[in-house]
Amino acid sequence: MSIPIALERDDSVAEAAKARRRKQLSGWFYLLCVAIAMLSVVVLVVLLVSISVQGSSSLSGDLLTNSHSELQPEQAGMWSAILGTLFICGVCALAALPLGIGTAVFLEEFKPQRPELRWLRRVIPLGERNWEHICTLLYKGTRWMHGFVQLNISNLAGVPSIVYGLLGLSLFVYMFNAFGQITVNESAGWEWGGVQHYYQVLSLERGQVVLIPQGERTETTLTVDEPMMALLPSGEEVELALWTPGTPKPKSKELRQRTVRAGAKGGRYSRKDWYYFRLPFGRSFLAAGLTLALVILPVVIIASQEALRSVPPSMREASLGLGATTWQTTRNVCLPAAIPGIMTGAILSMGRAIGEAAPILVILGAAIAKNSGPKHLMDDAVTMPVLIYNWAGRQQEVYQELAAAAIIVLLVTLLLINSLAIYLRHRLSQN
Amino acid sequence: MKTSLFCSRLFAVALLGAGVVGCGSSSTTSTTDADGSPAAESSLTGDIQINGSSTVLPIGNAIKEQFDAEFPNVNITVGGAGTGNGFKDFADKTTDISEASRPIKAGEWEACKASGVEFVELPVAYDGLTIVIHPENDWVKQLTVDQLKAIFVGSEAANKWSEVDPSWPDREIKIFAPGVGSGTYDYFHEVLAKKDKAALREDMTLNEDDNVLVQGVAGNKDSIGFFGVAYYEENKDKLQAVPVVNPDSGEAVLPNKETIASGEYAPFSRPLFIYVNAESLNKAQVQAFVEYFLENVPETAEKVGYVRLPEEVMARSVANLDALKTGSHFVDADGESRSGSVVDIFTDENLISE
Repeated sequence: MSIPIALERDDSVAEAAKARRRKQLSGWFYLLCVAIAMLSVVVLVVLLVSISVQGSSSLSGDLLTNSHSELQPEQAGMWSAILGTLFICGVCALAALPLGIGTAVFLEEFKPQRPELRWLRRVIPLGERNWEHICTLLYKGTRWMHGFVQLNISNLAGVPSIVYGLLGLSLFVYMFNAFGQITVNESAGWEWGGVQHYYQVLSLERGQVVLIPQGERTETTLTVDEPMMALLPSGEEVELALWTPGTPKPKSKELRQRTVRAGAKGGRYSRKDWYYFRLPFGRSFLAAGLTLALVILPVVIIASQEALRSVPPSMREASLGLGATTWQTTRNVCLPAAIPGIMTGAILSMGRAIGEAAPILVILGAAIAKNSGPKHLMDDAVTMPVLIYNWAGRQQEVYQELAAAAIIVLLVTLLLINSLAIYLRHRLSQN
Repeated sequence: MKTSLFCSRLFAVALLGAGVVGCGSSSTTSTTDADGSPAAESSLTGDIQINGSSTVLPIGNAIKEQFDAEFPNVNITVGGAGTGNGFKDFADKTTDISEASRPIKAGEWEACKASGVEFVELPVAYDGLTIVIHPENDWVKQLTVDQLKAIFVGSEAANKWSEVDPSWPDREIKIFAPGVGSGTYDYFHEVLAKKDKAALREDMTLNEDDNVLVQGVAGNKDSIGFFGVAYYEENKDKLQAVPVVNPDSGEAVLPNKETIASGEYAPFSRPLFIYVNAESLNKAQVQAFVEYFLENVPETAEKVGYVRLPEEVMARSVANLDALKTGSHFVDADGESRSGSVVDIFTDENLISE
């Protein structure tokens, strides 16, 4: 049986018309997509060009090697800010990536399963029927917990970073005042190693001091009214000499250096090694890094979960079928297959961390005039976004140019870190 | 497993990198003794915590920069969280020095007393608050304090220029002002409205970023705004400053270095302060820094766009520091703020210690 010729002709005409319309529609849609993509690229290019034009005059070696300068803005730089950003983002990565990937593995690969609860049966002997009941309840409970954690993580990804800043302030900076507050003249908080306490007293030699080891921690000042043992800054132990105002000062430089005015006061001074650690963290780069870790944690978790979910179930089943445990399957099959996706999420979230200014302003304050990176774990730091924010708000033209140049440096740093991560991803996905 | 080995190596490299960078860079400076022989680098060490007004921040940063050259081992952190936040930290004993663009308020002093903080009050420079209009505004030649009150104070404030002066055009006034958290806003409020217990009008365009205010006023012929004199000096080509009639002499005065320092530009010359925790002054590094601050602040303040205080006021500051006179001059015994020029208020008779 065949279709009548008239019908077939009409049909083919209608089919052709439909096909043409579909193709047209598809063509228009393609154009629309290209236009939208171009639009965002154009915005990006305009931004980059305007920033380069504004900032190119200030891009110099000084910008990379010097620190912020108030008196010579032409020589101001951002070296300490680059260091600060790298340190804070390092802390952030060390905290957020293992924690985030671990959470994703738990949520994706270790979903609660009824049979796993049965080992309890051996530990606590109860009647068979009771056990069925308890197992069901426990299973439901863990399922509910799992869903609850999942729901919260999805919601947290949309919370503004300033909120995390405030959370970090009470959690890391003050630790809910559980360990007391850190104040300038008292030794507060709990300290572990890496610190020696001294009283510092000015000597008669201009600009030189002597250090007296602190005995009683609660005494904040010391009044020198009798000769005692002290340390020179070089570490040499000397006997202090006293000078009474009104009498002639000693002539010898060596003697002047270990002579203090009678009744001179010394304030507390703590010499800290790089591993100096205390609770609460105070306004330190450690607290800032951990707060940024909170900001990016949900993104890391969600991206890692997506990556793990895209591993084909057949691979998992094959591994389990050969007798591997869930952990062996995760470690040898799922994680290696998911690493490119996990790395993509990590790169995106670290990019966000590098550019965050709001939580850093809450945690570290707006200080920008620092000459070096953090010297010990509890030291503060300057970051690039905060420095740019400050420079861009100044009235002088030169600082606004510097801000533009600093933005270029920030973008380049970001691109460098991203390319390193992309290289790693490439490397790992080949293995 | 190859992958995990690679990962652990990478981790080790990252740690090493962090360790190497962690050693930091220290600048070395060479100073010379009076007799010409190179002096040893100062061994003064320790931390100094400073926070407070973002207006005073450039002065603090500049002094720190000079101090660093002479005493490279002292670690100074200068924050700019705002005068009010600065005083909060100061009362919590987390800062040694609080920078302020207005005198301490009675409530803030109470907080200091409650936590046992005694302080030395030191005026360090002047900032002239400049009232600016669009350069093409040809009707405003000068403003009196009463006219400013008509523009800025209360909910009944003038909406049109003609309501301030009938000869002025019948056009709406656009107002640009610093944010309510800034010391500048507080100071303006105090000068115009504190005595009448009134508030500044609420329908102004407020912004913490002074550059936004500059653009706002420069972009509209009917606009008026106010901010520190440094921002005006940098944007002279886009703005016009309004002479303000001095309430005592009756003469209209433009803000500039001479008129601000001489006190002719009244009542909008405001003093900037540092408040030093008396207990912190026992620390050698804080003592050295504050002495250095007072010694160098007249020149340094001018370099970063502010105006030096009259010499007699600076001399009183130094004397107060030497004698360790704690307390405030700007709050009277009843807890009311005094108003007037710093020359008249910052005197020994006005010092309230308790």
